[in-house]
Amino acid sequence: MNEQVDEFEFFLEKIWSDGFPVVTPTEERIARILGGTKRDPEEVIGPIPPAMETATARDVAVHALMAGCRPEYLPVVIGAVELMLRDEFNVNGVQGTMHGVAPMMIVSGPYAAEIGIHGGNGCMGPGFRANATIGRAIRLILTNLGAGIPGVSSMTIFGMPSRYTYCLAENMEDSPWASLAVSKGYSADDDVITMAMVESPRFCFDDVSDEPNRLLNGIADTMTAMGSWNMHTRSDMVVAMGPQHADICANAGMSRADVHGRLCEIAGRKVGDLKNGGNWRRERALEFPIDVDPDDDDFFIPAIKDPEDLQLIVAGGWGPCTAVCHGWSGGSRAVHGRYQV
Amino acid sequence: MANGLGFIDPSAGGGKETILLAPRPTDLSGKVVGLLDNTKEQADIILQTVGEALCERYGVETLIIRRKEHYSKPAAAEIIEEMAGQVDVAIAGLGG
Amino acid sequence: MCSVHDTIEFEKLGIPSTTIITAAFKKAADFQFRGNGMEGHPYVVLPHPVSNLQPDKMRELALQFVDEVASHLKT
Repeated sequence: MNEQVDEFEFFLEKIWSDGFPVVTPTEERIARILGGTKRDPEEVIGPIPPAMETATARDVAVHALMAGCRPEYLPVVIGAVELMLRDEFNVNGVQGTMHGVAPMMIVSGPYAAEIGIHGGNGCMGPGFRANATIGRAIRLILTNLGAGIPGVSSMTIFGMPSRYTYCLAENMEDSPWASLAVSKGYSADDDVITMAMVESPRFCFDDVSDEPNRLLNGIADTMTAMGSWNMHTRSDMVVAMGPQHADICANAGMSRADVHGRLCEIAGRKVGDLKNGGNWRRERALEFPIDVDPDDDDFFIPAIKDPEDLQLIVAGGWGPCTAVCHGWSGGSRAVHGRYQV
Repeated sequence: MANGLGFIDPSAGGGKETILLAPRPTDLSGKVVGLLDNTKEQADIILQTVGEALCERYGVETLIIRRKEHYSKPAAAEIIEEMAGQVDVAIAGLGG
Repeated sequence: MCSVHDTIEFEKLGIPSTTIITAAFKKAADFQFRGNGMEGHPYVVLPHPVSNLQPDKMRELALQFVDEVASHLKT
């Protein structure tokens, strides 16, 4: 190291820094992390909006390295970048938005378990290297190559803690159901990433319910708020049921699809209620991809406008809690796909 | 790249090739103005108002208003290409 | 953001174009134009916010910027 340059200060002062030190990218470390992928380092992954700097496999590796990733995490990071650049995910929009949503990664399949992406207690962080660094690699790519930087191209009002990192697996050990990926048609042996543009979670604590109706009522309530964009536009949402809550439903004979359907059905508010605060506009309601009567105060507006928009997972440790992550207003559709190990 | 620091600096920010402005007409009289509405709230009112005033004040002949799919996405390339074939100048709104 | 992007695409196709934005997005707009090789491209900035203005007030505001819009589209 050059004695005049403190490597940590060098990167901490970069405009694209996330505020934390990075692992210093030396050629030796870069070569080592590139050993984690079979991809050609010069292979173009894609341009990162809005700055549209091109990310090659090597560029992704360098950011993964800086984030603290092990070589074996690299396939997940590359797979996530590829997914993230899909048109329907609309990363360009979220890089500039006033909102604070972040691309949440739900990693399914055997490879996630092999490299230690955690889905049990504490899975939303901090504390688990794979979760923390894979998610962070994505953010560093978004800030450096994409220039999604507050005050530069990002108008985010608050940002959000989940913009530091947002990656987890499901708790398949304790889940009574098959995974999110299987519910989307993949096999349990497929290595899949699902990404949804959502906020940090709010929690539904319920240590009272011992049957699904009351439990799901509470979770559904957590899915609606006057100030939530889910009530005023078509938007994705992640509901991460803790295994204890999932068991209440499964023990009553409910399948994952039953729970999914029930939440889509009951999560919502009446027009008359929504008018009293938040982002209600009549013309917004008329844009919904469902039939709506915005002049009928008793008309029920569902939080989930299309069943595909609800990403239901089982994650977290034991305890009476479900995490609900609200979505964005900017027209992002969750994406999913297999990634190459 | 390696620069005596002992590590690489992957900071992005290389300059982009400068794009020259499309040549402007000397006036807007008799011209066709395209208005591209990105569906943000009030965009339609703003664009309509500006368009009509351009007709009154500057003799603009025709307004062509098109609406995008969603305010957070760039317009489908087709919309822009189609408009480019029909208009002399274009206004996009509402950024924000 | 996307309206800036639209203006950039129009200019590439040889169509003079300007963007109307709200003030909160000025830095984002500058960044997008700069990043696409169009640093200093002229655009119109409305005071933020506009989303909660009543339509008649919105029209009044828009009329104040018509001449500026025109100046960006002609010599």
